[in-house]
Amino acid sequence: MEDRTSDGVKSEEISESFICCVCLDLLYKPIVLCCGHVSCFWCVHKSMNGLRESHCPICRNSYNHFPTICQMLHFLLQKMYPIAYKARELQVLEEEKENDCFSPQLDAHAHNLQADQDLENPACKESSATMKQLDSISHISDNGTTVPEQGTNGNPEATGIAIDIDKNFPQNQHSGNCKQISVADVLCAACKQMLFCPVVLNCGHVYCESCAIGIAGEMLKCQVCQSPQPKGLPKVCLELGNFLEEQFPKEYALRRDAVRLKEVDSNRGWQTNGSTEGGKQADILAWWSDPHSKVHMNAGCDSCGMYPIIGDRYRCTDCVEKIGFDLCGDCYNTRSKLPGRFNQQHTPEHKFELVPSNMIRNIMLRLVTGPIDDGSTLLITADGSENLEDLSSPPSLSGVTEENVENSLAIPATSGDGAEEHQDDSQTTEYLN
Amino acid sequence: MAAVNGFSETGHGYQTNTPVTAAAPTKQSLPPAKTVDSQSVLKRLQSELMALMMSGDSGISAFPEEDNIFCWKGTIIGSKDTVFEGTEYRLSLSFPNDYPFKPPKVKFETGCFHPNVDVYGNICLDILQDKWSSAYDVRTVLISIQSLLGEPNISSPLNTQAAQLWNNQEEYRKMVEKLYKAPTA
Repeated sequence: MEDRTSDGVKSEEISESFICCVCLDLLYKPIVLCCGHVSCFWCVHKSMNGLRESHCPICRNSYNHFPTICQMLHFLLQKMYPIAYKARELQVLEEEKENDCFSPQLDAHAHNLQADQDLENPACKESSATMKQLDSISHISDNGTTVPEQGTNGNPEATGIAIDIDKNFPQNQHSGNCKQISVADVLCAACKQMLFCPVVLNCGHVYCESCAIGIAGEMLKCQVCQSPQPKGLPKVCLELGNFLEEQFPKEYALRRDAVRLKEVDSNRGWQTNGSTEGGKQADILAWWSDPHSKVHMNAGCDSCGMYPIIGDRYRCTDCVEKIGFDLCGDCYNTRSKLPGRFNQQHTPEHKFELVPSNMIRNIMLRLVTGPIDDGSTLLITADGSENLEDLSSPPSLSGVTEENVENSLAIPATSGDGAEEHQDDSQTTEYLN
Repeated sequence: MAAVNGFSETGHGYQTNTPVTAAAPTKQSLPPAKTVDSQSVLKRLQSELMALMMSGDSGISAFPEEDNIFCWKGTIIGSKDTVFEGTEYRLSLSFPNDYPFKPPKVKFETGCFHPNVDVYGNICLDILQDKWSSAYDVRTVLISIQSLLGEPNISSPLNTQAAQLWNNQEEYRKMVEKLYKAPTA
């Protein structure tokens, strides 16, 4: 957890927290997965499985959506390690040029503008639903600064936060060695205070865990960009949380007190990610065991990030980039206006076409990938009903055909294979021969 | 087999223009492994080498072959209190161009009498196959193989003789000693 030397120019010693577990280098355009683990944009994308659900490289938590870059973390790293980050940028750009496939360009100006607006407009803070929750423990003072109530008025730490937020203090000699970064760089998108137990949504926006719980009604939706969050509340990004605690120990402790106090007040239990596990598992089973669900291999939705796309897939006929521009059925229907995930020059005027999914490939995909994980639960029956337990159901196909298909695919024989049936065996066989 | 290869291909591209047909996998929109890509593999392998040399793990070591950083030679020493105690094994690790998104190919170069190692030195270990994660590295792979030595998976053996003998640890130890040939430098 080293940070950097005092001169901060020649040698940027990078905190362990910000080393990508995949490329073992400084995180570049960081993405936070729903399990709270962080990796680079390309490291996440290349680690994903284009054929079925993907797993976190660190904890194997399964996920189906390619998250958007966490801009807050991106600009934080850029500020803390300007030299190393620039070097990473050049190196990644080189690779991107080579592959003719680019990561999104992040606009620092737009990002700062947004942050400044939020800060300069106390009304905007108060209108936020989650802000109201925190009213019991803090109030907005006349000069627009937030002062915690519980006996800390006049306490230098409390005013320290205020000064940072107002950016009246250009050289924040804050507790740590990172001179450039201040609390203003690490604010929650909802309460506009320093993040406490940060969670990063699929859209890349960062909230305090308590604030995210606050906005999670029927379905968790980002307050900033209105993107729905797949699979419920993400886990806390511990790397970021620990870093903040280290960097701003006093402020972090104050935030902890405030959040705890709030929790006692509202008497609301913590709803952790655990509660979503069941639904998640069911989700995956539902589309894997349903032979009619369409999987578009190696195709991802540029809006919500679903990868591979399950269900309808709409492809932009006007985007010229090699990577293409695709939307899943839901995002197409909601007329998503989000930019592409790979810097495509897509505009709302572009036309889409519905892409049929290749049924044979889908069947074979199941045959090939099915037995890898929970093969016993992924049985496909000819009539399309989901048969999750009945291993003894007799194959309705001739033994020869079955054998042909299996041999050609070289599937490792498992006891469950006998129960797997093919929707269209004649076609499959013909295709393989 | 073509189908399997085609399907297990992890593309860099977000989607494919051309359907990846089962019979003849065409991956037009998936950028092929290029030199620059292997630059990043190179960088990662260098980082790993540094970390491995600094870590000072006991019982495992690895180093690239003469002038090819994509091929490493590793050694594992059998852990204390296992039938492999005191024996040393040499392994070869070869890294694909899309490492670490694909696992390295790891083989025993020294003969190893073990339920999950065959006569050619092939290792049956899930993390080297479908349970591979891009966060694994040479160090974790070697540590995993080291612990596999003491805790074999008897239920799916590559070497059935070894699997049958495993219950009798005394006899097994004798067998290990009988078959063991120390690797030569």
